[in-house]
This record gives sequence, structure tokens and C-alpha cells, in this order.
Amino acid sequence: MRKTGLVFFPAFDWAIEPTHPEREERLLYTKDQLFEEGIMDLPEVIEYAPRLATEKDIARVHFCVPDVKSQVTEAHLIAAGGTLVLADALMKREIDNGFALVRPPGHHAMRVVHGNRGFCNINNEAIMIEYLRQHYGLKRIAIVDTDVHHGDGTQDIYWHDPDVLFISFHQDGRTLYPGTGFPSELGGPNAFGMTINVPLEPGTTDEGIHYVLDNLVLPLLDEFKPDLIVNSAGQDNHYTDPLANMRFTTQGYARLNEKLKPDLAVLEGGYSIESALPYLNTAIILAMAGLDYSHVTEPDYQPGKFVQTSSQIEYIKDLAAYLKEVWHQRESLGVQRMPRTGEFYEDKKDIYYDTDNIRESRWERVRLCQRCPGYQLLTSSAIYSFGNKRTVSAVAIPLQACDTCQEEARGHYREQIESPGGLHSVYLQDRPRDEYRQFLVSTSEEVNY
Amino acid sequence: MLIGMDVGGTFTDAVLIDKDSVIKKIKFPTYTENLLKSLMNALEPLLETAAGRPIERIVTSTTLITNMIATNNIEPVGLVLIPGPGRNPGTYHFDIPHTCVLSGAIDFRGREIAPLKDGEIADCIENVRKSGLQRVAIVGKFSQRNRAHEQTVADCFAKSSPGIQTVLGHQVSSQLNFPRRVVTALLTLATRDRFRDFYGQILSALSQHGIDAPLYILKADGGTLPFEQAVRMPVETIFSGPAASTMGVLALAPAGQTSVVLDVGGTTTDLALILSGRPLMASRGARIEERLTHVRSFATKSVAIGGDSMLRVDNGSLQILPRRAGPAYCLGGPEPTPTDAMRQAGLTTIGDMQRAVESMKQLGRALGLPPERTASLVLEQMVRQITAEIRSMFLAWEDEPAYRIWELLQKQKVRPQNIVGIGGSAPAILPLLGQATGCQTLAPEHHEVANAIGAALARVTMRRTFHFDTERNFYFVEETGQQEQLPGQLSSLVDAERFSVASIKEVGEQLGVAFAAEPELVYSEMFNMVRGWRTIGRLFDVCVQFPPGIQDHWNKGAAQHA
Repeated sequence: MRKTGLVFFPAFDWAIEPTHPEREERLLYTKDQLFEEGIMDLPEVIEYAPRLATEKDIARVHFCVPDVKSQVTEAHLIAAGGTLVLADALMKREIDNGFALVRPPGHHAMRVVHGNRGFCNINNEAIMIEYLRQHYGLKRIAIVDTDVHHGDGTQDIYWHDPDVLFISFHQDGRTLYPGTGFPSELGGPNAFGMTINVPLEPGTTDEGIHYVLDNLVLPLLDEFKPDLIVNSAGQDNHYTDPLANMRFTTQGYARLNEKLKPDLAVLEGGYSIESALPYLNTAIILAMAGLDYSHVTEPDYQPGKFVQTSSQIEYIKDLAAYLKEVWHQRESLGVQRMPRTGEFYEDKKDIYYDTDNIRESRWERVRLCQRCPGYQLLTSSAIYSFGNKRTVSAVAIPLQACDTCQEEARGHYREQIESPGGLHSVYLQDRPRDEYRQFLVSTSEEVNY
Repeated sequence: MLIGMDVGGTFTDAVLIDKDSVIKKIKFPTYTENLLKSLMNALEPLLETAAGRPIERIVTSTTLITNMIATNNIEPVGLVLIPGPGRNPGTYHFDIPHTCVLSGAIDFRGREIAPLKDGEIADCIENVRKSGLQRVAIVGKFSQRNRAHEQTVADCFAKSSPGIQTVLGHQVSSQLNFPRRVVTALLTLATRDRFRDFYGQILSALSQHGIDAPLYILKADGGTLPFEQAVRMPVETIFSGPAASTMGVLALAPAGQTSVVLDVGGTTTDLALILSGRPLMASRGARIEERLTHVRSFATKSVAIGGDSMLRVDNGSLQILPRRAGPAYCLGGPEPTPTDAMRQAGLTTIGDMQRAVESMKQLGRALGLPPERTASLVLEQMVRQITAEIRSMFLAWEDEPAYRIWELLQKQKVRPQNIVGIGGSAPAILPLLGQATGCQTLAPEHHEVANAIGAALARVTMRRTFHFDTERNFYFVEETGQQEQLPGQLSSLVDAERFSVASIKEVGEQLGVAFAAEPELVYSEMFNMVRGWRTIGRLFDVCVQFPPGIQDHWNKGAAQHA
């Protein structure tokens, strides 16, 4: 019998604001439906209590400004910690797969965190994945982001990682927050083609999304052969979602999970709290547990309710074929588009935090190494809503870094803390040593998370 | 004066209590085929001792319902389901040959999302009539939030087949969990008539003795309920025996502490927890014979080891089997048992020492050990298995899911201060358990009739969970299925709490509040309902209860009992 682990943490005492979509009530009716269905009594379902993630679990992924404590509430620690409980259960083979039904969500949280954007402060999936890589030695990870919004935070975190395949399908960024996720976004010079974006037209139905799944996502996963598949499981492609315009159904979402077979799924967005979420979550859990979900439908749903127009289908077919071609040509395309000349590849990026009204400018340099994916040097300046400003710099050493790069990078950190002119903090994210430091310039104090 | 009785599988215990002292206690074997005889036999000597002084109430625990269900000695019942969207109704395993599934659906807020179909109802009634069934359980998903569909179907049955008894899902429990509500409704209907017969027999037996004291029964949650009300839902009396032992320890153990209740029987050892003076409730309803119900009960655990367990040596290793061959060898039985090991080790003086040594010698042969080493090996193994269970009970309690931040943050590691042994074999094994766990151990005075004391002294319990919906202008009560319009202006959580406490007090008074504690607030919370960025209403969830507890007049003398 297949065993599906479930962490259900609806955080009935946490909201961004009382009438915000991310509020106490969000999973209330989902709780009612799951409990009324007796889901927790099913022999295939094991419910786990969440735990609190540690500051180190978070510092492994994020550079939090001014520090980790200021960016996370207890609710964030519990949501992230809930995913870690399932990660452990999966590795101990207590479960075959798991679904963390937790809030607050995380997939818009990027590497540097100055505040909340897109309802997210810290990235639950990334915290879970890096915990698994650090403690259990998993290498190749695939993340499929099924939220209607582009998973720009997760993309940012894995942009330079050649061992993580990130695929996001979402409503076209020209029509929806966060306004990114176009086919041209394919990853950094050391991981080109490991980021795949599939923007879909508003109104896309089950048929369109399943076309993408069958003809792009699943074939790519087959070729990539990951150690772990993670579903960044938003539920806002649903036809009743108030924040987006897609036409995905409960049956569509359940079948998606049945085909994708994620090892771990983590809840992201989804704000149709009465008309969709109770049914969606029931169906997804049943599908993951290998049980019959055919009777879970929305009250107003009838087969054939939505039809994909032929022009939408044409667009999807062309896009899927194009991206598959890009994937196969990723090595040569990468060399063409991001020539590996010089010691460093440089990039600039502007990031807007909608929830907290913060503007961040980021400048990053990636070491181009022949033996490893290099290390990264970041400088990030943020202007906060009242006009004050903070600048930080960070050194990130990935798990795969070669000895030379590790030494070079640690040298950069030491240099920075000796002359940190104008900086608020200097960070070191030393993955090979699992060591995370923050040097506070004003007090010359070094925190070791 | 109070009378408490516990009709257990092996023994019937009874006590007569006056304020804070046990006036008389008796214990003798249960007539398994005749519960009434067991009850009356226990009662008579107590009434003699009481000698005409007034009896305020008689409380008994009973295995009647547990046995009926375990032996499948229950009435056949048909099942009508109104499941709506969700799990495929074909995948439920209620094991009811005559089940019919109707269209129609209610959602989580009690709104109709699909109507019933008249034709289907008519067909269903016709089928039941053909089958000859006399009882039908009608259960709809979310019927606790809107009983209209269940009621309509029941009305149709009443109109066209007035002889058929029906029980509706919302009447047996309005807690969330449709499959458990189905099982609870089925068991209610399948046991109700026989339970009523039993009650009738007791009443007439009592009146022959000229007794008019009110008769109460102990429920699985350690609370007492007037017998005539238990007839409505006899299934609540399952596991009243284990509940009686926990209540007994609550009365006999040091007040306010964290204790493990240890009841060592013939082939099983029952464990329960008292955390800071409060019995731990199971987070979900009781499970009986693999059937999951909505019956609130204590969190208890049964380990398959007892004083009479069979002992075997397999491949040079000792095994304690979950069966008995008869009494202990030292008491004239056929085979060596843990009781013989206790006798050999000098932990008890019951039984013949010569025979105990002989049995250990015999067992030791296969192990290549002398009798003393054999006895201590048996006891070590017994202690190891019991302490492992105690540890896992505490861990399970710590791992209970939490759905709110404060719940998760207040979780703490708690370990027991005491192990309180009751029943025949418990005192003998206590010193060893104390060494293994570092806990204080005690076998309090009267421990051998702790169950009867627990029954005699248990208070009335009651829990009411109110769910107010200001947008839909109604509220319902989970435990009773009551569904009403909102009482006047109810605009804040404080109003909702005040209303809930007043309501439970009122019900408590009707039930004899003398036997209940002050009502307490279990939890209360509020949800803003926001649609289109506007707050359109509020949901208030308020849970109040009379918690399980021991009568005050006993507690006043608690110091001397401890």
C-alpha cells in the first residue's frame, strides 16, 4: 500500500492583514472538507505534526536583511519546518510521497530577502530541498511549479545551479504578477537550460496544461532523471481563482499530480477558498495516495465546461516544441548566449516587493570555473517604503564548488569584512561546510547561524 | 451515599461510598452470560450495608455494548448515503449489504449544492421494504451543517413505511468526519433496542428491591450519563471499563500530577495517562473492532501481556504470548505464567511457592537457566514491553497534529511522575517498573476496586461545540445536531462565548448539575469571511465543556487518600 505523508498547517492564527487573501480563513473550508471526508483516517495517509525550522535551515538558502529573525514569524518557521518533517519521513521511507499543506507560501522569495513579496518571505521548497541535499546527499532535483504565478523566487535561487531543473508553467507575465517567466529566461552561464518557463494565455484549460505536461514536462523529467521531484503546488490556475484568469479544474489538478508523481508537494498560492480549495486539496491528496478521486468535483462543474480555442492550442504546441528544442540544444545555446570569457560573468537585476513596497537592485558576479559551477558574489541595495536604504554583500559557495573556488570565495568574504565601506552586512553562505555567517558592519559582530 | 459498579470481563467490582470514604467494597466473578445477575449480585450486599440510608445515585460501567459489537450480536441495519462530491462512495467499507447512494449534496457551510431526486428516494424506500429490514441509518455529508436532506429522506420513510426505524447522521454526532458518522449511526441503531431491553430489566429488578435511586452509566469519556439518556446513543458506553479505571486512579492518585494508569489483567495490561491531573482524551473518536467511531474516549492503550499470559521458548528466546491457558501454575493452572515468575521472585505472596519454582524450572530448561534467572528474564521482558508502550504513548501525544501557532509552540516534553497500579497483578510488577522508568510507583488503598470507585465518583461530562455563521444567520451545535437561527445580536466573539457558556449551563442544570463541574471554555476562535475584498460576515467557533472529574466531597478528603 502506498503511504502519503501529510502535514496540514492551516495557521488559523496568522494573516498578512485581516482582509488579505493570505488570511486565517484561507484553509478553513479545506480543513472542513478534508476532515469530513475522513482523509486523516485513511490507511494510506499518515499525518505528521509540523516542527519549527531553525534559523540555519533558512540561512542555508537566504540572505535575510537585516537578519533572519526580522524576516520570519513563527508561522513561517512552522510552514518551512512542516516541509522538513516530510523530507525526513520520505528519507526514512516511512512514506512514499508527501504533501505539505502549509501557509504562508514561499515561491516568490528570492535569495536575498528584504521583505515580503507576492505574500512570501522565505522559500519553503528551497529550504526543504537544500536540507535534503545537505543532510541526505541528494543531487539531482526537479522542481515543477504549478502555481498560476511565475515562481520567480525559486527560479532566482536555482538560476546558477546545474543540478536543479526548474520548470514553471503559469499565466503569461504580461497579464499577471510578477511579470516575469518568459521563454527566454533559461538560467545562468553555469546552468543554462536548467530553467524552463512556459507562459500560458489567460483562459488556458485542462487540455492546454496537460498538453504541456505530456509533451514537455514529463519528457524533460524522463531525460533528466532526478533523485527527487518537487511540486511547487499552487492552486490558483483554478477557474474560480479571484487573482488569476485560468480555467484549470479539480480533476485537471488531480490528474496532473497522478502523472507528475511528485515525491514532495508543497502548497503555494490558491485563493478561491470556498469554491476550489476544499475540492482541490481533497482530490490532490487522493491522487497522491493512489486512491480514486473521480468523484471530487466542484459543485458547478460539468465535463466540457471549458473548451480550448484552436489558436490557444496552436500557441501551446509551438511553445512546447520550441522549449523542448532549447532543452536539447542547451549546451551550445548557452555558450552562444552567455560566452564564458573572463573570470566572472556579471548580471544586474531589479526586484520589486509588492507586499512591502521595497525596490531592490542586485548586482551579481559568477565565477566561471572549468571544474565546477563556480561561486557567486552578490551586492544588493534596497530602498524601503519610507526611503531608507540598506546595502549588503554576500558570498555564496555552492555544494559542488571545487577546492580552489571554495578558497577563493572564502578569501572574498574575509576581504569584504575588512573593508565593508557603506555596507549594512556581509554574508557568507558556505555550503560545503554547512556554515552561514553574517558580519554586521555597525557592531563588527559576526553571527554564525 | 453513592454506589459504583464495574462489570468487567472477569470480575464485577462494587463499592458503597459515603462522602470521602469507602464504606464497603466487594469483588466477585462476572457471570458473562448474565450481566443483570452480576449487577444485582453486587448491589445486594451494598444495599444491606446502606441499611435504608438514602442512595443518591448508582453508577455502573458495562461491557454490554462492547461485547455485542465484538461478537457481532447486533441487529441488521440498512444504509442510505447522501455523499455529494468527495471520495468515491463505492470505496467505503461499511460492510452493509444493503446500501443505497442518493444524489444531493450539502457543502461545508451548509448550503445545498445539489438537490435530492424524488425518484431515487422512492426506489430506495421500495428496496428497503423488499429487503425486510426494520432499521435504516440515513447519513449525508455535512448534514451537521444542514440536516434538510437527511430529514427529507427520513420523512419519506415515515410516510411510506412507518414501521421502519431511522437514525439520522446529524443526530448521532455533528463532528466532522462523514465515514465515522456513518459507523456511529449504524452502531447506534444496531444496539439501541437491546440496550433498551437491558435497561428495562434493570429497572424492574431495582424496583423489586424497592430502589428508586437514579441510575447512571459511565461513558468512554469518563463522564456519567443518566441511563435513560444513554438509551438514545448506547454506543457512547463502549470502553466504559477502561474509563472507570482511569477515573478510579484520578480519585486515588495524588491530585494534579502526571501519572500513568496501569491495570494489569489476565492477558492484557491497560494503560492510560493523566496529565497534570487531567485524563488524556483521544484526539479522535474510539476505534472498536477496526471500526472508527465518533465516540469520545480516553487515550488508552492495551498491551497483550498479563498475569496469566502463556510463556514459550522459541529458538532459545523467551516469548510472552497474547493468550492464556488457564490460571497461573502456582494457583493450580496448567502452565508457567508471569504470575509464577512474580511469585518465584518474591514480588507477591499469592499462590504456592513450590509450584512457582517448579514452573520456572520447567521453563528454564529450554533456556538453559536456573529458575531464579528464568523468573527475572520473564519479568524483565514484561517490564521492557510495558515501558516501551508508555514511552510511545507520551511520544504519540507530543506528535499530535496542531493547526494553530500557539498550539504548536506550547507543545512540551512531559514525562510521568507516577505509575499508579490497580487491579490484581499490578502491585507486584510496580517496583520493577519504577526502577526501569525512574517514576514514583504506588498501589493506593482500594486499588483492587478502583474501577468501581471511579464509576461512583465520576462527574457528568458534556461538551458542546457551537459554530456561529453571521452571514448565513444560523448556528449549529456539533454534539446535538441542533440547528437554529442566531440568537439576536451576536457580533463579537465575547457574545458567542457568553451565549455558549449559558447554553451548556442550562443543559447541565436539567441533567443534575450537582454532578457536574463548572463549565470551561475549551477553545474559541473567529474567522472573517471576506468576499471581493469586503468582510461579509464572521464565523465563531466556540467549544465549552463540563470536563471529566471526581466529585468534590471526595476531593476534600483527598489528602488522606493519597
